[in-house]
Amino acid sequence: MKKISVDPITRLEGHGKIEIFVNDAGEVANVYFQIPELRGFERFCVGRPVEELARITPRICGVCPEAHHMASAKAIDAVFGVEPTPAGRRLRELLYNAFFVTDHTTHFYILAGPDFVIGPTADPAERNILGIVHKVGLETTNALLNLRAEAAELISIIGGKQIHPVCCLPGGVSKAVSAEEQERMKQITAGMVEFAKFTLQLFDDVVLKNNDYVDLIKSDAFTHQTYSMGMVDENNHVNFYDGKIRVTAPDGTEFVKFEGKDYLDNLAEHVEPYSYLVYPYLKKVGWKGFVDGKDSGVYKATPMSRLNAADGMATPLAQAEYERYFSTLGGKPVHATLATHWARLVELMYAAERAHELAGDPDLTDPNVRTIPEGIVGEGIGVVEAPRGTLYHHYKTDDEGMVTNVNLIVGTTNNNAAISMSLKKAAEGLIKGGTEISEGTLNMIEMAFRAYDPCFGCATHTLPGDMPLEVVTKSEATGEVIASARRNM
Amino acid sequence: MTSTLVLGMGNPILSDDGVGLEVARRLQEGPLPDGVDVQQSEVAGLRLLELLKGYDKVVIVDALRTGRAPGDVVRYEARDFRGGHRYGSAHSIGLETALELGRRMGLPMPDDVTVFAIEAADVETFGEEFSPPVAAAAGKVVELVRAEVGAG
Repeated sequence: MKKISVDPITRLEGHGKIEIFVNDAGEVANVYFQIPELRGFERFCVGRPVEELARITPRICGVCPEAHHMASAKAIDAVFGVEPTPAGRRLRELLYNAFFVTDHTTHFYILAGPDFVIGPTADPAERNILGIVHKVGLETTNALLNLRAEAAELISIIGGKQIHPVCCLPGGVSKAVSAEEQERMKQITAGMVEFAKFTLQLFDDVVLKNNDYVDLIKSDAFTHQTYSMGMVDENNHVNFYDGKIRVTAPDGTEFVKFEGKDYLDNLAEHVEPYSYLVYPYLKKVGWKGFVDGKDSGVYKATPMSRLNAADGMATPLAQAEYERYFSTLGGKPVHATLATHWARLVELMYAAERAHELAGDPDLTDPNVRTIPEGIVGEGIGVVEAPRGTLYHHYKTDDEGMVTNVNLIVGTTNNNAAISMSLKKAAEGLIKGGTEISEGTLNMIEMAFRAYDPCFGCATHTLPGDMPLEVVTKSEATGEVIASARRNM
Repeated sequence: MTSTLVLGMGNPILSDDGVGLEVARRLQEGPLPDGVDVQQSEVAGLRLLELLKGYDKVVIVDALRTGRAPGDVVRYEARDFRGGHRYGSAHSIGLETALELGRRMGLPMPDDVTVFAIEAADVETFGEEFSPPVAAAAGKVVELVRAEVGAG
């Protein structure tokens, strides 16, 4: 038995490690991924006023502070038993969709892009953002940076700050926007729609017109038949801010649709001795191990799953892309993990259109942005779709509103079992009958991982620009290192 | 006149990881020469490019884990980071990549970039307290940065 470590996983938040165990015949026996643990979050929160959690939870990490701010705000609304006013809700949803535009775009150009735009087996020295700049040109890169700057401006208009918004209060938001601010946000969101169109065209030209890439996306090595989870509105259209949680079976039929507050009736957590990160699964199906199929409670909560779990998109251009996506990939549902990158761009289109729609709402400047709470319920659950999956915040307080209990299920955790399965399958498909493992093969295993856009919010810092990739082959019997390779990326 | 940015980086609720922000906060309290700005940033990546552009000189303060003794302070220059343009952080690009990307795009990027790295003991436990050696190092780095930017 030999062990191959891919350590650390590149381009992922926090320091991960993928370990591949190979038996004496050169076949993949098992694959694990391990990530560092952050400790003491609940203890940190207990005893604080619950409304502070909307400002504390976004600091878990710097990648999706807006998602935590929103889920937290919704949980706090429930703790105080208040519904946001229509104006308050509108501003929250506008900010949130603008955030989705930035997050999905950044993922495509910086993380996924290098694999596809430069090529999955390309020299690592070229497979990065600078390689992208070279390939797509300075004008596109300028447009990307401009989009990020304008999205940050919009988020600070509503959110008060660019990075960690502070606008959400129980029952709504802290301030209304002016007519001038609305005009500016209309301009910014119009630019977002144009950039989303451009990005989908780029994906078309670079990925879909290349048969090798399309075959790679559709290949069995990257496919898993699991349940799909996503939030939907009353028409079963994808919604990031609010709605019910819908789960569809591997064959695409609806399995369950539930209110976020009922998540504990629908989800349970499996624990493995080798990992502190739990494996959530569908309670009513049960845990049957790391396996595909309708009898296994494993589900995914990713852009791909959200499209599977919905009946369509609520905006016209995104709906057209949704239809093209399914018709190109052989109909609904799609289970090809790498298609997640395309699904993310369909969602980008929706987020941009929805943001633009909200920015143009004639009532956007309505000053009635907040319902003032008059009592306290003492428990609340808030759910949003984060870019990386459904995000649940669950708080309990005493009757003074001081936190007594906090439970979070974060986007990536939903996908923990599916990520493990994808890594194993990709490794099995690519490593066969031997220990000769090319850099391209290792990168393709990482691609299976990156499709989930995993994020573990670890803030451990290392020397930037000097990240090693280490491959170690070990004899399992003696622990002896048989071969090792290292490169800086 | 040259313009200088002092940038404290880190996470304020992950114990020693907040030390870069604390150093920046203390520098913001005291008088500094004209042309010196101090900022705190809890995120890196492309955001670095957006923060650094337009300055002649940048001094970054951050916590780091390299295996040295907690509280040790090491001074790096940007060229120490050359050699790679991939970084282990998802939504992120490294410092040198950010500088290079900015230059290729014709943006005015600083030529003089210094990093004061404080070796952390714990960046994995939620908390707002520093470990004793890191708390002691914060004061020392405040003085090092003041000397670096000519504040005596």
